[in-house]
Amino acid sequence: MTNLTLTQIRKAFGALEVIKGIDLDVRSGEFVVFVGPSGCGKSTLLRMIAGLEEASSGTIDIGGADVTYAEPSKRGIAMVFQSYALYPHMTVAENIGFGLSLARRPKAEIEAKVRAAAETLQLTSLLDRKPKALSGGQRQRVAIGRAIVRDPKVFLFDEPLSNLDASLRAQMRLEIAELHARLKATMIYVTHDQTEAMTMADKIVVLNGGRIEQVGSPMELYRNPTTPFVAGFIGSPKMNLYGGPIAERMGCATYGIRPEHIRLSNEAGTWQGRVRHIERLGADAILYLDVPELGEMIVRTEGETPFSPGTILWASPISGAEHKFAA
Amino acid sequence: MRHIRPYITGGITLLFAAVIFILPFLFIAIQAMKSKSEASRLNFSLPQEWLFWQNLIAVFKARDYQLLLAYFNSTLITVASVSILVILSAMVGYIMQRRRTSWNAIAQIALFMGLMMPPAVVPTIGLLQDLGLFKTIHGMVLIQVAYNLSFSTLLYRSFISTIPRDLDEAALIDGAKPWQIFFRVILPLLKPVTVTNIVVQSIAIFNDFTNPLYYLPGKENVTVQLTLYNFQSMYTSQYNLLFMNILLVTIPPLIVFIFFNRQIVAGMTAGAVKG
Repeated sequence: MTNLTLTQIRKAFGALEVIKGIDLDVRSGEFVVFVGPSGCGKSTLLRMIAGLEEASSGTIDIGGADVTYAEPSKRGIAMVFQSYALYPHMTVAENIGFGLSLARRPKAEIEAKVRAAAETLQLTSLLDRKPKALSGGQRQRVAIGRAIVRDPKVFLFDEPLSNLDASLRAQMRLEIAELHARLKATMIYVTHDQTEAMTMADKIVVLNGGRIEQVGSPMELYRNPTTPFVAGFIGSPKMNLYGGPIAERMGCATYGIRPEHIRLSNEAGTWQGRVRHIERLGADAILYLDVPELGEMIVRTEGETPFSPGTILWASPISGAEHKFAA
Repeated sequence: MRHIRPYITGGITLLFAAVIFILPFLFIAIQAMKSKSEASRLNFSLPQEWLFWQNLIAVFKARDYQLLLAYFNSTLITVASVSILVILSAMVGYIMQRRRTSWNAIAQIALFMGLMMPPAVVPTIGLLQDLGLFKTIHGMVLIQVAYNLSFSTLLYRSFISTIPRDLDEAALIDGAKPWQIFFRVILPLLKPVTVTNIVVQSIAIFNDFTNPLYYLPGKENVTVQLTLYNFQSMYTSQYNLLFMNILLVTIPPLIVFIFFNRQIVAGMTAGAVKG
């Protein structure tokens, strides 16, 4: 069952077209991540789904109803902002229940719903606090709680984790993924962080310059990127991409090989290079090679790598793992 | 030697400030307690007889307790016009800051004209007469609102620019109507600048002498500042009562100012630096 359908969505600010015709289907219960570099239009697209920006043309359909020109509150969506956007003068309980109190629901119902949301998010002990007395992760949970009580057809997340520090981000990533599993709700999540996209998504939508580059499950995009852009964007460290003579020799416009698909050897191989720098991450190590034929090459290898900067060595692609992109 | 210098310069500055700010007030206070003949000399000598109570009672009793009526009128004008000012300028400031339309430039010019152009008194009186608002308290209230709206709006607008737009959008998604966004989300957050507005404007309006003089003639419409004028024309040589009256009129704004000093600065500077 389709829950959200975008048809030929376009958005222009004056003469500048930022969304250049997007078609997308999102199934009920799916976790979809919009990913792309800054300025690719992913946040604008999300804001158009939310109703905070009006589409210049095209239609937006949520739960079978055309909501292209509907008020945000009438669309059956809830949104979590990057800045959390909690009301500073209200307590946590008031923040979560604000939408319900605007809808003039009975007090008992508001209280019950707020309490249920707070329990889901482990906020019960914080209900009487003001946002300024909360940590970043707690604030984010309150913002999610505010979304939950609306009981929306679609949850929208606009880079919700980018204001958190690294460890908290990993924890919240897990919490949001678990929340999705529990609520079985449709969620659309915008991020520029490919790790978040890979770890949370059922379906990733890679956006570039206002267009969809590719749509697919994380592993589909990892295994079979259709364009060099997607290939470079999905996967960390990013895929080694080469144009020019080397690609021509391989019979394509761009030749790509992932850092984890390169074998290193002291004796023999395809390309000879010198180790410029090594990043040891523990479980693995990232080697930066200077290869005269290609330029820079990034290689992921085991953490206990015997090589050190300055070593001359050979690198060879694992056959079958190479990517060849036509022009 | 070097570490004494700040104290010396500081001391000199304080002395200088004291001469400017305290001496006139002291002069008023001393004159207010002198007898009629002593006060008419207008010098700094201490009174031979301290006539505080006598002068106080005389001022209150003058013209059939006119000062009490004046306090009532001034308070009424101040409270009414400041209330309208706060609500109106907060709303105008909010819309001007948030909504980007081609009207913004025109509204901006109107705002600055309100701040910079001196009001024309005679045409205003004509207009008030045509509207039947001349010599009325509510006409005076409208005048005060009109004259001070620009300043209050500018204060509010710069403060509102520090409130993230995300809050408006979150409220919009929560189902708030525009007026609900304003009254339930934005207005409560404007408290610091509202306090500033209330204090600054009530002092200005309470202390206003010229506008009531032009637009609010008539014995029953007298405001506190105008009681001074009446005094001077009636008892030309009664400087002791005049100064006692000044003292009485100065005290209420002074108390407000002393208590809210800190908030005024907080509200004035809150919009200055984007956080």
